Amino acid sequence: MATAHVRSVKSLYKRSLRMLESWYDHRFQYRYQAVLMRDRFDKNRNIKDPRQIDTILNEGEQELFNKQHPQPRRFANSPGGVAFEREVVPPDWVVDFWHPLEKAQYPEYFARREQRKAEYLAMWDKKYGKGTDEHHH
Amino acid sequence: MASLVRQTAFSILRNVNLLRTVTPKQRSFHAISSINNFSKVDLHQQLLNNVKKRDFSAKEPLTLKMIRERVTLVLNLYDKIDPTKLTVDSHFIKDLGLDSLDHVEIVMAMEDEFGFEIPDTDAERLQRPADIIQYIADKDDVFE
Repeated sequence: MATAHVRSVKSLYKRSLRMLESWYDHRFQYRYQAVLMRDRFDKNRNIKDPRQIDTILNEGEQELFNKQHPQPRRFANSPGGVAFEREVVPPDWVVDFWHPLEKAQYPEYFARREQRKAEYLAMWDKKYGKGTDEHHH
Repeated sequence: MASLVRQTAFSILRNVNLLRTVTPKQRSFHAISSINNFSKVDLHQQLLNNVKKRDFSAKEPLTLKMIRERVTLVLNLYDKIDPTKLTVDSHFIKDLGLDSLDHVEIVMAMEDEFGFEIPDTDAERLQRPADIIQYIADKDDVFE
């Protein structure tokens, strides 16, 4: 099987299991259905013909679409989950835009930060070479 | 008494199952309880402790050691992996003889254990237990 097919099959298998998990909320029922699902995938594992694989994959996708859950189970921090984007972590560069008076309250931290930035720039120049100063607008 | 304890334990279990998002702590607790032979009273006590100690605001801070223990525990409980052959650096497919669908199941077990989603593109790189440990540590900013 080509790599692209392996990838689609793995993705389809994972989404199928998650679909089953949404429908069967008792673990033992889910496990039973998951074993049946695994068996259905295993039955097609020796197919080599790419066209036939495509057909089966499409049928599988269609079946998954038909059986999708109206309120699927999601992880809390995933899109659709209860805590998605509840805490927004500000990106690191925000600190560079603090007012100088604010920065002056944490002299040690900002001294080390500037040092780390210089080290990073040196590392970058060493790895990718010096950039040109010309602006290309 | 035993039947009462069993009933209570089951009702708690049922309630736990009803929660749509289960905290990682509870997941790992289920895993632990299935390998040790707790008596029913112990199980009941453990469940009560577990329910009372749930963190509703933030999860427990992780360390690399804890991550490693939890990852190896989940892998040891997987029936297709031989625990005697399992090391941190053994390759799932080459050393442990799993196939690609087993790998999907492992990644899903890790998602359930640690309570966050692992995208397919990242899951492709997680070919050894060490990779999984490193990935989870990176995700949670754990360095020691």
